Amino acid sequence: MFSRSLTGRRRLRALQPYLLLLPAFVIVLAFFAYPVAKAFQLSFMRYVLYRPNDIGFAGLENYRALLTDPNLLRILWNSLIWVVATVGLQFLLGFVLALALNRPFRGKNAYQAVVFLPWSVSAFLIGMIFKWMFSEHNGLINHLLLQIGLLDKPVAFLAMMNVSIIPVIIAMVWYGVPFFGMMILAALQSIPHEMMEAADIDGAGKMRKLFSIVIPYIKPTLILTVLLRVIWVFNSAELIYVMTNGGPVNSSHNLPSYTFDKIGYSADYGQASALGVMMLIIMAVYTVFFLKATKYNEAGDI
Amino acid sequence: MRLFRHSGSSFIRFVTLALFPAGTLLPFYWMLVTSLKSRKEIYGDTLTIWPKQLTWANYATTFQNSNFPQYFANSALVSIVTALLVIVVSILGGYGLARYRFRGKGLIMLVFLSTQMIPVMVMLIPLFMMFGELKLLDTLAALIITYTAINIPFCLIMMSGFFQRIPYVLEEAAMIDGCGRFRTVVQIVLPVMLPGIVATFVFAFTAAWNDLFFGVMFANSDKVKTVPVGLNSFIQKFDINWGEMSAAGILSLIPVVFMFGFVQRYIVAGLSQGAVKG
Repeated sequence: MFSRSLTGRRRLRALQPYLLLLPAFVIVLAFFAYPVAKAFQLSFMRYVLYRPNDIGFAGLENYRALLTDPNLLRILWNSLIWVVATVGLQFLLGFVLALALNRPFRGKNAYQAVVFLPWSVSAFLIGMIFKWMFSEHNGLINHLLLQIGLLDKPVAFLAMMNVSIIPVIIAMVWYGVPFFGMMILAALQSIPHEMMEAADIDGAGKMRKLFSIVIPYIKPTLILTVLLRVIWVFNSAELIYVMTNGGPVNSSHNLPSYTFDKIGYSADYGQASALGVMMLIIMAVYTVFFLKATKYNEAGDI
Repeated sequence: MRLFRHSGSSFIRFVTLALFPAGTLLPFYWMLVTSLKSRKEIYGDTLTIWPKQLTWANYATTFQNSNFPQYFANSALVSIVTALLVIVVSILGGYGLARYRFRGKGLIMLVFLSTQMIPVMVMLIPLFMMFGELKLLDTLAALIITYTAINIPFCLIMMSGFFQRIPYVLEEAAMIDGCGRFRTVVQIVLPVMLPGIVATFVFAFTAAWNDLFFGVMFANSDKVKTVPVGLNSFIQKFDINWGEMSAAGILSLIPVVFMFGFVQRYIVAGLSQGAVKG
């Protein structure tokens, strides 16, 4: 009797972690796994919301339409520029910020709360503020550039071919620096003091310390942060949607903002799903290559 | 004068440290100034860096002649309920991940982490159809369920990081004293973790408060629109009134900025736990 209840208890204990994780797991299945499977299915279907009588299997039709879409090259190119420029600048500025913050000074906590503020603001609002600042009529940026003499008449930055994506990238950089700053700062603070002191005793200069100790030590964080940020920026469409809505004539869309355009305006769920599946594949391939190329598994030991 | 007695490198550091908040605050400043200007001044011939005449008119209109109060209340309700649900599920799962060794643990971590890769654009249509079948479209419930779900993987990993920081001895000691596991966690571990729990709350709250696309997709009528969704649908229909838009923007910033100021330190810790150790 006694021993049976003991094994029963042990069995219960073995089940505990699964029970604890069950709610989260069910949610992940319903809200991540199911949508992905459904999107795959839809991408092979004719499915336009306004034509409910013409829904059915379409084979590769959506993918063919996608690959022959005259906008596609432009949009892929924009996606690349968008990711490389944004993440590159965020990384650089975030790194500088984290290095500056890594030594104690008075009022540091308040300072951090200010510079990390953009992280907590909605992309919608950030898009609106920057749209207003870059506006042709009474916009702050035009005003300042006119004052310095760099312009002699106001420019409609957000309505110019090949230019309109630049203000959006600027807004996105502004938005993302805090995240990089936070991650890198946390990593910097995990470097053991003894290591830096040993370097000081050996007479290592600032640059030497940065490249021989700091960067190798925090490399795993840098890799993961870049990986996560690239995915996040690649999938991000709010600022483009708010500031240019892809305009003029589709010249500033990236993949997700173009997908949202397909969902919202043409309501072509088949093609939108094919675009979504394409984004997923690009990200999966990128992740595997990135982790291989950076030798993530071997990083972090010096 | 003191500045110049420092070495060159600390001067550079000083300039660097000054530039970041300046760059960060400029857009906020511009929004604030715009919200305090009269319509005439905003669209006048000369642009003013500080309002010639301060006016609360934009705030008054935002409160009285718009749906903003309704949007604000919706955002508050949705975000608070979302954050509470996220915390409950994350505490359960986070504890499971942090304190047990079991088969499939690595796989579960991998699944949770890979959800971070899935584009919102892939989820929008299937979830729209799912809520359509459940007759939940155009309800606050659809928003709450969605925001809870999409924030769980990250918050759970973050929470498990907070659990790992607390020495297990603390729990063992209580359990040896005859305290059950559940009671031990609730009475001893959770109070110690309070900063982490608050940080997770703010993280989930902010994510729900700031979402745009799910809201645009699921919320149609004014009585369920959140702040960004409501303002967005407004500017789709009418020309943007920058004064009122700025006033609404400032008002919508207040809750998140207020909370963020307090817990920013813990969020930094949580983010790095969640992403680095995860």
